[in-house]
Amino acid sequence: MQWMTVFSKELLEDWRSYKWIWVPLVFILLCIMDPLSSYYLPQILEAVGGLPDGTVIEMPETLPEEALMMSLAQLSMIGVMIIAAITMGVIAGERKSGVAELVLVKPIPYLTYITAKWAAKLLLIFSSYLLGMLASWYYVNLLFGEISFLKFMGVFFFYFIWLAFVTTLSVFYNTTVKVPGLVISYTLLTLIVMSVLYKIFAHIMPWFPNSISTHLMRFVMENNIPGELWGAAGITAVLSVILLVLSNYVFKTKEMAD
Amino acid sequence: MDELQQLIDILPIIAPVIVIQLILMLVALVSLIRADDTNGPKWLWAILILFFSLIGPILYFIVGRRQS
Amino acid sequence: MAVIKVQGLKKKFKGAEIIKGLDFQLETGRCVALLGPNGAGKTTTLRILSGLLKPTDGTVLFEGREKNRDIRHFIGYLPQYPVFHSWMSGKEFLVYVGMLAHLPKKEAGERAEKLLKKVDIYEAGNRKIASYSGGMRQRLGIAQAMIHQPQLLLLDEPVSALDPIGRREVLTLMEELKEQTTILFSTHILGDAEEICDDLLLLHKGKIVEKGAIEELRNKNQSAKFELKFSSNSLTYFERIKSMDIVQDCLMVKSEIHVQVKDIEKARQQILAASIKNNWPLVKFELSRTSLEDLFMKVVKN
Repeated sequence: MQWMTVFSKELLEDWRSYKWIWVPLVFILLCIMDPLSSYYLPQILEAVGGLPDGTVIEMPETLPEEALMMSLAQLSMIGVMIIAAITMGVIAGERKSGVAELVLVKPIPYLTYITAKWAAKLLLIFSSYLLGMLASWYYVNLLFGEISFLKFMGVFFFYFIWLAFVTTLSVFYNTTVKVPGLVISYTLLTLIVMSVLYKIFAHIMPWFPNSISTHLMRFVMENNIPGELWGAAGITAVLSVILLVLSNYVFKTKEMAD
Repeated sequence: MDELQQLIDILPIIAPVIVIQLILMLVALVSLIRADDTNGPKWLWAILILFFSLIGPILYFIVGRRQS
Repeated sequence: MAVIKVQGLKKKFKGAEIIKGLDFQLETGRCVALLGPNGAGKTTTLRILSGLLKPTDGTVLFEGREKNRDIRHFIGYLPQYPVFHSWMSGKEFLVYVGMLAHLPKKEAGERAEKLLKKVDIYEAGNRKIASYSGGMRQRLGIAQAMIHQPQLLLLDEPVSALDPIGRREVLTLMEELKEQTTILFSTHILGDAEEICDDLLLLHKGKIVEKGAIEELRNKNQSAKFELKFSSNSLTYFERIKSMDIVQDCLMVKSEIHVQVKDIEKARQQILAASIKNNWPLVKFELSRTSLEDLFMKVVKN
């Protein structure tokens, strides 16, 4: 009941601040940008000119699987940054402005407040990501060749676990500091540190959250789900739950007026 | 003629992309016009939105809109 | 019966003790002013009572509360500078916080309408809060604090930031709310406190220096003052008045003599008798009661 109240208030706020329009549109563009431009690269180069007459452009054939993964590559950079940006103030913003002082003196459990906000943002991100990937899937099928529905679903599902983790990380930092700018800095910094760690220790941590996209590449190429993918996905999901529990704990021990 | 034919071939595929970009730009402009207050002058945001497709609107929505 | 009992309440911030052990209780149905100069610890006290801050030491007890029930059910709180979701309308915000306080949607809507009327911003109820004036926001703030019919209403400086008209409106509103609930409000303006409160808690440097019913305090701290003026130089009579045994203190203020006395009746007789006997050219003889103002000033200056 209270959970739904916060959840729907959050959806309404994101609707009135145009997030429910611009985030899906941006995700669609992000997802189809690379497959499209790589398909039309020869024509683009030709149109731009600058190449001497008679140059034959030899491009290695792009496989449909590779094209689909291009979308994820875009999401892993700009997509993640946008997720961090639209979630940086989800709780911190209310505490910074002072609205939290009115909201949190009402008898609402902190866990309700946190998870409802988290779920509302996750729904926005899920929907945007779904639309983006569907668009990408459509174009890949059209331009590069067929990708089965199951394979698409596999990629979509496993990569969403990573995006959900990013969202949860940002929500967690929201409970620790009340300046949205700091929240996004901490979130992105943590993600950078994680990716560096993974680059160095990839061979000994096949289950690390950042490994999901590596394993996904194998999954689409080899057509069966590698065990490490399940492992990494499981670990990432568990980490997200831990982060949520931790957020609640931090929030409880914190003094809301500070 | 060859190039024209090429363009006609490509158009149905590229058109949705252009339409989405236009919608994004339009929504950003509507939001900008209706906003009471923005971080930074409105005309500057208008230029950014109009001339830097994708990046302009994204930046406006994230940085330019003042949170309540 | 007491709504709330506070015992040995202490609060430290970064080593500095802001609240140095408060003991008081609030009786049901009373309107209590938490009076004190800036920095006395009023806001901190209210924030502890509202649950936003945790006390370093001491207890806050809610009488008649079921075990383990969230204290926030019993409290309505208005911070000094209330901030709302300004993209919402006033009514939307009230319904939102009402539902957070466990009201069903329909009931929250009815309560919101009622309160909007009560605080007299009904016409603006469907407008964005962003367009509200300071006084309207303050009244919306009181409405949101009342939404779940709390047993205790905590108001932090509810009128300080308002212009005279807004102040009057909010004070009138509080006068009405007194009938429905117990109110604890902070202020640094004695006049506001005297105007509407029943009881007074005088807070200074984190301690309660005086508390009680306002009438009691007034009587307790009352001393009477006569203001005398003579058509010739008043100084001539100063020493003679000062030497009277009923006079506590005697002061020259411009060309007037201010005489502090204990017993008003005796003093009036003596002074008037002396002036008739000696044919003093008395042109002004006025009684003025010193009020809580002096008590307040005395406390604040120390």
